[in-house]
Amino acid sequence: MLEMETGPVRKGCIGSRERRALSASALRPAAGLAVLLPILAGMTLFQAAAAATSEPVSPAPPPRFQTDLLPILRTHCLRCHNSEARLAGLDLSTEAALFQGSASGSVLVAGRPRESPLYRMVHQGLMPPDQQTAPSPSEMDILRDWVASLPVPGSREQPHASQAQLPTVSQRDVIPLMLLHCTACHGQRMQEAGLDLRSKASMLKGGKSGPAIVPGKPDESLVVQRIRAREMPPSEREVEASLRPMSARGLEQLVRWISLGAPEVSGNDRDEENGSDPLVSEEDRRFWSFQPPRATPPPLPDSSDPSRLDNPVDAFISAKLEEKGLGLAPEADRLTLIRRASFDLTGLPPEPEEVRRFLADPDPAAYEALIERLLGSPRYGERWGRHWLDLVGYSDRTHAWRYRDYVIRSLNAGKPYDRFLLEQLAGDELADLSSQAVLTREAMDNLVATGFLRMVNDVTGNRLTNFVSHRIQVISEQIQIFSSSLMGLTMGCARCHNHKFDPIPQRDYYRLAALFKGAFDEHDWLPPAITDDPNRPMLAKETRVLPFFTPMANPFRLHEESARRQSHNGRINGAIESLQAALKLKAKPVEERFINLRLAELPEELRPDLREMLDTPPEDRTPAQKELAGKYEQGLKIRFSDLEDIDPDYRRASEETAGKVKLLRARLRPEPLIRALWDRGSPSPTYILRRGDPMSPGRWVEPGVPAVLTPGHSPLAITPPWEGAQKTGRRLALARWLVGPDHPLTARVMVNRIWKHHFGRGIVSTLGNFGRTGARPTHPELLDWLALEFIRQDWSPKAMHRLIMTSATYRQSSKVTRLHERLDPENLRLSRMPLRRMDAEVLRDTLFLISDRLDQTPGGLPDPVLQRKDGLATAVPTPGGWRRSIYIAQQTSHRMGSSNPTILDTFDFPEMTPNCLERVESTVVPQALHLLNDPTVRRLADSLAGRVRREAGSDPVRQIEQAYWIVLNRPPTAEEQSVSRQALERLGKSVENAGRSEVAEQALAKFCHTLLNSAGFLYID
Amino acid sequence: MGQLLSRRGFFSNMTDGIAGAALAWLFNRELFADASPPDGRDRPSAGRVFDLKPRRPHFEPKAKAVIHFFMNGGPSQMDLFDPKPLLDRHHGQPYLDKMAAADVQDLEDAGALMRSPFKFARRGQSGIWLSEVLPHLAGQVDELAFIRSMVTTTPDHGGACFMANSGQMFPGHPGLGSWVTYGLGSESRNLPAYVVLQDPMGVPVNGSQGWQAGYLPPLYQGTPVRSVGSPLLNLRSEVEEPRPFVKASQDLLRRLDHIHKRGRPGQPRLDARIASYELAARMQLAATDALDLSQESRKTLDRYGVGVKSRYRGRTHPIGGPDSYARRCIMARRLVERGVRFVQIYINNQIWDMHTHIENDIKAACKKTDQPVAALIHDLKQRGLLDSTLLIWNGEFGRLPIAQHADGKDAGRDHNPYAFTVWMAGGGVKPGTVYGSTDDFGYRVAENPVSVADWHATILHLLGLHHEELFFERNGLTEKLTSTHEPRIVREILA
Repeated sequence: MLEMETGPVRKGCIGSRERRALSASALRPAAGLAVLLPILAGMTLFQAAAAATSEPVSPAPPPRFQTDLLPILRTHCLRCHNSEARLAGLDLSTEAALFQGSASGSVLVAGRPRESPLYRMVHQGLMPPDQQTAPSPSEMDILRDWVASLPVPGSREQPHASQAQLPTVSQRDVIPLMLLHCTACHGQRMQEAGLDLRSKASMLKGGKSGPAIVPGKPDESLVVQRIRAREMPPSEREVEASLRPMSARGLEQLVRWISLGAPEVSGNDRDEENGSDPLVSEEDRRFWSFQPPRATPPPLPDSSDPSRLDNPVDAFISAKLEEKGLGLAPEADRLTLIRRASFDLTGLPPEPEEVRRFLADPDPAAYEALIERLLGSPRYGERWGRHWLDLVGYSDRTHAWRYRDYVIRSLNAGKPYDRFLLEQLAGDELADLSSQAVLTREAMDNLVATGFLRMVNDVTGNRLTNFVSHRIQVISEQIQIFSSSLMGLTMGCARCHNHKFDPIPQRDYYRLAALFKGAFDEHDWLPPAITDDPNRPMLAKETRVLPFFTPMANPFRLHEESARRQSHNGRINGAIESLQAALKLKAKPVEERFINLRLAELPEELRPDLREMLDTPPEDRTPAQKELAGKYEQGLKIRFSDLEDIDPDYRRASEETAGKVKLLRARLRPEPLIRALWDRGSPSPTYILRRGDPMSPGRWVEPGVPAVLTPGHSPLAITPPWEGAQKTGRRLALARWLVGPDHPLTARVMVNRIWKHHFGRGIVSTLGNFGRTGARPTHPELLDWLALEFIRQDWSPKAMHRLIMTSATYRQSSKVTRLHERLDPENLRLSRMPLRRMDAEVLRDTLFLISDRLDQTPGGLPDPVLQRKDGLATAVPTPGGWRRSIYIAQQTSHRMGSSNPTILDTFDFPEMTPNCLERVESTVVPQALHLLNDPTVRRLADSLAGRVRREAGSDPVRQIEQAYWIVLNRPPTAEEQSVSRQALERLGKSVENAGRSEVAEQALAKFCHTLLNSAGFLYID
Repeated sequence: MGQLLSRRGFFSNMTDGIAGAALAWLFNRELFADASPPDGRDRPSAGRVFDLKPRRPHFEPKAKAVIHFFMNGGPSQMDLFDPKPLLDRHHGQPYLDKMAAADVQDLEDAGALMRSPFKFARRGQSGIWLSEVLPHLAGQVDELAFIRSMVTTTPDHGGACFMANSGQMFPGHPGLGSWVTYGLGSESRNLPAYVVLQDPMGVPVNGSQGWQAGYLPPLYQGTPVRSVGSPLLNLRSEVEEPRPFVKASQDLLRRLDHIHKRGRPGQPRLDARIASYELAARMQLAATDALDLSQESRKTLDRYGVGVKSRYRGRTHPIGGPDSYARRCIMARRLVERGVRFVQIYINNQIWDMHTHIENDIKAACKKTDQPVAALIHDLKQRGLLDSTLLIWNGEFGRLPIAQHADGKDAGRDHNPYAFTVWMAGGGVKPGTVYGSTDDFGYRVAENPVSVADWHATILHLLGLHHEELFFERNGLTEKLTSTHEPRIVREILA
């Protein structure tokens, strides 16, 4: 019963105790809970009693800080919260420091002990963390009474003696309120009534009606009057701009600030520059991944075959193997190597001819030449681009395909990784683009590259989901992508509280957020699309796509481009219209039948009148006809689905038309726009949000990078990128810091990823977590050596592939021996190559390639995906077949019948949440069902059989051999040849017995289909 | 384990070589692997193999299976479950000034307070108030526990549906069904663990994203099963093939895979893959049998409303009569009987989203679902399954007490995230209970608010899972259904 009456404060309390108790009693909960419940009930009673006596202020004189409170704090709190250690940024050693609050803001709510973190944390038993030093009940009373005695803001009481020394409310408490509720109309982009509420100065200046504030006189301040009267913000603006009215607490704060005379404080937020960062210590920085990579020369293992150890990679790997008495496995044969290398670099198998040539190549460096050739293939960027798109959280949002093409282009060109990052993080700040007449390819690429930061699911296009909280969600996902993919750090948790495991205080999350604020400002937000509704002036006229052409552009070229697009699209729209007209013609007789069917259900005497009514346009109808219409027209109205229901032929025609139209629409040339992120030069200030809640802004912070990755002071020199730039230069500074030679994470994280895609597992197995809860490197020296080598080779990804793939380690056989099982069961030391399964895209692309149905056209608009009523989704084919999976529309959401191709989803194509740091591999029944029964796979098997017949003629032995070369990239063994021949015969007989024709064709097609289902196809040695 | 005989006896029953080995491998794992509870050391990158074998819950569960009626669209609490006599008295009076302007979709459409067009009456032994529009449920009201004080975080369908399913407003997080199957595995070897029964008339608002496994391995995502035609995608070929032809290719595949595996010892993934092909063959039979309603008696079919289609001005009503929903309710029972852990029944689009003519539309939505749902409760009870099956009925939010768009018959109600009603029944639920209340008009919760996290924690509790202990380590984060909330289990509705 009592629990039902508890307020939120006690609820939190019970929850936390329950959890603590549970984790202590581990997993014997059936009994544990039973014991726990009575304890909980007892606690509740006790707390109810405490709560009942907590609110009234005792008549005795209030306790004083120095004499009454400080001794208690000294006993229980100061060990951690002193002026030196300042854990969580909180110093309780002086009254002034206490009023400063902690890293997440004030710990006091004057007059309200139960709302004050200082009292609440102690009262709830959360502090001090060590139960033995818990304050006694009488000490708790003193603490409570002291907080209760602090004068409530706006009251007529004299200010507390000690408070006079220190303004507890400054402009930094008030400005966040203005940002949340007022500056959408009275700020940077709009100054309704000439009023700007972003600073004290502009408030004093005021607008048309006079100054907004009168220091010392809240009741006379216009801003207070208007908010009190609920005139501001006006309700239609609340609806339009997704604003909330100011809370009573907020108003109280504002009143307090004005009554104190609107005090201002200045200075920066950096303690660490004065020598001591209370939140991140030198000890924290000593963790391996926060230290720059250390140069270690490759070891010299005592191997029997030193020639295999020329490559430093092998030296490191062998040394670790020798510790266990193991050595590198023998080199795999050439058939295995070419299949492995081709899939690794291009995501596609080698053609039979290439394999035969490689086998016959007498050059001892044939393998090295093969790697060079594969690195030069344009298919390389399509494969490795996909790895990158996983990290980015790519999906085909509007105009996003340009970014996809940029990634592929950059990788194929061998763009240095540092440059690649600079462009993606700060392409808009690299050069002054607004003064260029026409964007060069390079300038355009720089802008397109910033699409990296425009990939998350953004719901702010809808008014209902465009509140500050939603915008913050978008920003936070983007920061999560940034930090997990490029730095291997999980920063998401620090949005709401200090990181539990890594030395990333909440402060550092918000400092990082401030670095993005020139473009990602939740108080100055560019919507996903423009509205031209003149009644909604609030919605920005600017949006987040940029034209190819700057304002300085040559008008002739602009015109030319637009004319070309119009004529192209005109042709397509014409084709769509004629398809639809043809369908309409087909619908006519069906409509007639439908009407007759419906009329037949109605009374006979009405039918002629109804017929006449239907034939009369609504505006010409007589009153009697209008009445008839009101009664029956609804039931006689024709919907497409009705026609489809009564006529299967029409249904087929309609579905076919829909498919064609969708395909045509996908070929409409889009407006020449770039999905980009750009700095707007005037970010609002950044505050730590307590519990991540935008309605609870805490302390103010400046832009900066995580302190643990710096030598203790901010290494960022943030300056406008060029003279007179309307840009903050913040992201550029961030990007330059990230690719600096001493950065402990950037190079390590990337080489680890490259390693993972070659060996199936990273040297650090948690690719996106290099922190304390992540895995430790299995080969730390190798990781550092690779990272430094990467930088030394100008951050060239291709150089890394070359280095790794030419190693003996990479060339090992994948055969598992008994020794391996005993000494290196998980293959952590790389005693052999791992067996790998094809990724979803590799499987799909390969199926198309080997059956001669892969359209290799690169780039451009993504091909649409159609979904059948039963849920099967496939990409729409082009005239040349199907394009590679990277060019198929990646769904932004699985809404309303849109989906990724089923085969991709079934074989573990990832959800972007908000990105994918590492794919999981599953083995589930739908995979088997798909390869066995999917109609497309069956058609591909038919096509594959056709190719085999074309290339091998009609002799079954040669057919089997050629099928093996195409599907498995090798000839069959004698056993396989004989098993296959028997099967072909048996298949043929069963076709014959069933009295069907095309016996040999059907048998061969089934044989090919079976090969596509075999493990030898799906797995790579 | 007892009824499974000895290990030797079991293996001696295996038929031909390769298939036998694969099955043996599979069964071996199921029989002898320690069925440890989910412990959060589940990191995909640590090479852990995920499977669906049954796992021991954290404590003795009350329910073993779940049937979830997901009532997309935002069912109106004051017209169904939460009577508001004061709405009748204040009907037509303005109220907008008491609300936050941003709570309504469009200020111009926002009308005055609107009474329910339906009468409420006390029902059953428990005397719980229920709207006249739910006559069938009235007969089962003594089995139900209502929470009238649910609150959610957003008034948009997409976000609120994600919230109701996964506890987060954004896509990419595993839903309740995925968490439950991750935590408990499956009792069925031949059927998917988490089945989604889609409405043949259309998909819900978030499409298939409503049952994705998010960052959990895809193994735990919902498998959509169709109630007409082939139940599972690609369950069989669209082209009819002679039996011996199929058999010949199956034999070839076995032999080729055997040769492949023989040359690659120490690769358990190859065994798992072979096993999945065997399972596929078994599932062809099991899924067909589970969904075959011709095995049901006429009396049962009638009780659910199979065959009753709603005509509406001379054609099939866009919402539909009980027929299709009834079929899926029976299928849900048949699946649960066969050990499926979590069955989710969806409705077409969002039939409960009634911005206009709420009176007619509620009638239609109730016509479609009331009889089948009530019949399922009755049926489960009769078969002794209600005690071990948890039934959940919910939408993603409620509706506002003011009229939208017009007055009278054409009026509707707008979304309301601040108050809505859900109910539960069956395993471990205290029958005939009402918990929580809303204010005079049903605009906001007055007493005992229940958050989505509270509700999720309560559901997990009934299944023997503790919300803090059911987690998945991802990238250094401890991911949970209840996220970082500290939910309260709603013990007041527990038996």
